[in-house]
Amino acid sequence: MTFYIFLFLAALAVFCGLMTVTSRNPVHSVIFLIGCFFAIAGHYLLLNAQFLAVVHIIVYAGAIMVLFLFTLMMMNLNEASEGHKPALARISAVVSAGLLLFILIAALKKTEPFAPPLTIDHSIGLVKALGNTLLNEYLLPFEFVSILLLSSMVGAVLIAKRDKSPKPELE
Amino acid sequence: METSFLIEKGILILVIWGITMLIALYSTFGERVVAAYFQDRRGPNRAGPGGLLQPLADGVKMFTKEDFIPNTPNKWLFIFGPALFMTTALLTSSVLPWGDKLNIFGYEVSLFVADINVAILFILGVISIGVYGIMIGGWASNNKFALLGAVRASSQMISYEVAMGLSIIALLMLSGTLSVREIAAQQGGDFLGISGMKWNIFYQPLGFLIFLVCAFAETNRTPFDLPECEAELIGGYHTEYSSMKLGFFLFAEYISMFISSAIIATLYFGGYNYPGVNWVADHIGPNIATILGVVVLFAKIIFFIFFYMWVRWTLPRFRYDQLMNLGWKILIPLAIANIIITGTAILLLN
Amino acid sequence: MNALIYTSALGIICLLAEIFNLRKLIIPIAIAGLLAILGTVALDWNADNSIREAALYNMLRADSFSLTFSGLLISLTVLLLMLSTDFYKTEQAKISDYIALILFILAGSLAMASFGNLAMLFLGIEVLSISLYIMAGANKHDKRSNEAGMKYFLMGSFASGLLLFGIALVYGETGSFDIVEIRDFIATHQPTSMLYVGVGLMLMALLFKTGAAPFHYWAPDVYEGAPMFHTAILMTVAKIGAFAAFYRLFSACFIPVMMPFGWVLSIVVALTITVGNLSALVQDSFKRMLALSGVSNAGYLMIAIVTLYGKTDNAVFYYSLAYGMALITAFTIAILVYRSSETESFSGFNGLAKRHPFIAASLTIAMLSLAGIPPFAGFFGKYYIFSEAVRNGRMWLVIIATINSIIGVYYYLKVVFAMYLKESDSNAAPLQIPVIYSVVIAITLTVILAVGLFPSTVLGWL
Repeated sequence: MTFYIFLFLAALAVFCGLMTVTSRNPVHSVIFLIGCFFAIAGHYLLLNAQFLAVVHIIVYAGAIMVLFLFTLMMMNLNEASEGHKPALARISAVVSAGLLLFILIAALKKTEPFAPPLTIDHSIGLVKALGNTLLNEYLLPFEFVSILLLSSMVGAVLIAKRDKSPKPELE
Repeated sequence: METSFLIEKGILILVIWGITMLIALYSTFGERVVAAYFQDRRGPNRAGPGGLLQPLADGVKMFTKEDFIPNTPNKWLFIFGPALFMTTALLTSSVLPWGDKLNIFGYEVSLFVADINVAILFILGVISIGVYGIMIGGWASNNKFALLGAVRASSQMISYEVAMGLSIIALLMLSGTLSVREIAAQQGGDFLGISGMKWNIFYQPLGFLIFLVCAFAETNRTPFDLPECEAELIGGYHTEYSSMKLGFFLFAEYISMFISSAIIATLYFGGYNYPGVNWVADHIGPNIATILGVVVLFAKIIFFIFFYMWVRWTLPRFRYDQLMNLGWKILIPLAIANIIITGTAILLLN
Repeated sequence: MNALIYTSALGIICLLAEIFNLRKLIIPIAIAGLLAILGTVALDWNADNSIREAALYNMLRADSFSLTFSGLLISLTVLLLMLSTDFYKTEQAKISDYIALILFILAGSLAMASFGNLAMLFLGIEVLSISLYIMAGANKHDKRSNEAGMKYFLMGSFASGLLLFGIALVYGETGSFDIVEIRDFIATHQPTSMLYVGVGLMLMALLFKTGAAPFHYWAPDVYEGAPMFHTAILMTVAKIGAFAAFYRLFSACFIPVMMPFGWVLSIVVALTITVGNLSALVQDSFKRMLALSGVSNAGYLMIAIVTLYGKTDNAVFYYSLAYGMALITAFTIAILVYRSSETESFSGFNGLAKRHPFIAASLTIAMLSLAGIPPFAGFFGKYYIFSEAVRNGRMWLVIIATINSIIGVYYYLKVVFAMYLKESDSNAAPLQIPVIYSVVIAITLTVILAVGLFPSTVLGWL
């Protein structure tokens, strides 16, 4: 049962990912990307990481992609506004991405399955375990993330703030 | 997975779905009756006794109207929008506890569909993806009023989600769990010596106010109904919709009103708990106590649905900049202050 | 060890200062705070930090490498903040944001210099990068600055993605984020291909962040487009921080798996030095020339990573110190010249020696140091790195690097020729030199000369 769900979700994720890249209409791309996020959240659920799954949906599907869609709709982008890319760029992009895929598959194929510890703690992905880890072992990174968020917030305000003088200020 | 478990949950899902639909159906009727009362007129009174069959008549009208799809390159998305909106509106009911345990011939039935331990986050997640139905529908309509409505809806819902999440955080700090069932069960404790009255509203009055305002904004109800305000945008995101697709949009609004009333009642007003719940359980019987609890829960829900209508026919609509100011500059700082106050109180009292 | 926490707190204090209308005090507070933090770093130097490391679950390590680099980064930031007093004179409304961002950049680079856990490495890089994207695009009404911010942001996020992917693969192989545990795992297990792919992806991300060829395309445009003072931050604190992280990661963790990357890295280094140098050769703009010379300087520093087996951390620190000080001198003077002549090309420096002999002499010393002419600090920096490379049998790399340093002399001296040999425009206004700028130049020059004359004192630190 779990295996078939996994297969379904994996196929869905790959399909949505491909459609995201190949769709001509940016809004369709965004919608397929949201589908891809849901498939990945499903994978998290299969791993019993409920918290991660839900937060993934809230943050990515619920907030970031809404803003993406919002921007696309405001700018009213459609097929015509997509710039033409030179053939050389396309070919080189395909070749390098293909090479990366090749290397990854080759490497993962050769790798022995990571031996999991014999006693798997099934509660490892639950909120309680996660909270304990974050606020004990990972307390410093957890707090440091707030600096990351703060600096991006300050930056957003700095860029969005209206200037009194319309000419370049610095230099 | 045992068959009995599946049957039990299946029946429960069907019952909850049916009740949701029924309440949403009669909310439309209730809305018109309340509106008529507030405006000192009679309201619907022709279809059936006292106009009681009016919702059915409306439904028949919706179904039989011409289903018009405008000239848009995104026909699939045009259909997908209302379907998604309806789905997300219905999803939340799966994690809400509708009552305590019921004992039927020795078989114990819990009156909730799924007790996942991230239920609160699940609710927030469903709310956050609820906006897609409106956005996709509005965009696929290929109409600038619909697009404006969709854009307004998305920015409004995103802004108020932040304050809503923050107001819930203070509640979670008190309850120490993300499971709605446990939050509901905790409120059955004693408050000032009365059993079943340990409601969170007494501990989180500010959080409740913020949550209430945000719930209005999330359901796009007046005074926050800018996405569909007919004075400026004709009908907002559903301008181009007709027949039952329009029906889905309108109906889903009543469903989300019902669901958000249920969430408010469960999180802040004790859920299925009522004063003296223990006394009833001890003296009359646990099953009676549970059934009474369900009735009480629905009474609370219906009160809040009435409250929604009350507000709608009393308050005028916000201007858009006022809406954004309220969300970002008042509610979010208030919610953060509420978190700090709650944290300090927990630290000092424990 | 706690420098990271104090610096972050100082940044937040700067943000709060705006609320209490203390705009005038922000820079003095920041400088005083950083000097105090420098003091705590010095105190950590002789202390036994193992207990405090354990209390933080080894997220940060206070070894000699991290402490010296923390000290260097903090000192560079102090000098930059001294410059900022004058630079942000017209920007009082935004000053607290800018100063806080500079402090966050420092916090990010401190985390990168002293991480003991890949989580801290990633967060450090992200804090640094996000603040830098904003700094690069700070001039909203200047198209070049917009381009710089946007380009840096898009490329940088991609590199961060690669880094995360690499970290995930390394974690999948070793089961840990802690650099010591990863090192022990690699030392006791036969490395698999997954580990190599993970290390390779991390390598790519870090090459990007240090601006090495062939991942350097963003560097000249970003450095040129950003406001002059922000370019100085990008090229000193950010670059040295990124390089410290690069060196620290590979010297602490990945020495056993470096074999397959040895040749790749050598070629990357040769390419970086050559491409940076040859492109710098043909530039007209002083700023763009410095930007491209920054690319080649990253190449010289990376020779130390190719020859990890020796004890090269002394040389890396020495080189970073010399490079940072010389660049700050150069940028201080470039800001002054740009302000009076409004041009970034070499012609702005024409005849500077007649009007301001002290400034011209300082810039000459800085340029000679960057070019690696004895007896200035830059020479010994290159000398120590090259000699380590020779000892490790990378003779051909050293030959390429030496040829390139000789080429470098030409473009570094271009500006010196402009100052001493060319006539200035008759109506060229004299430079307005604020006192604080003279102080900064005096400090950096003293360091360049002192470190150049007595290199062994610094080399003994690590």
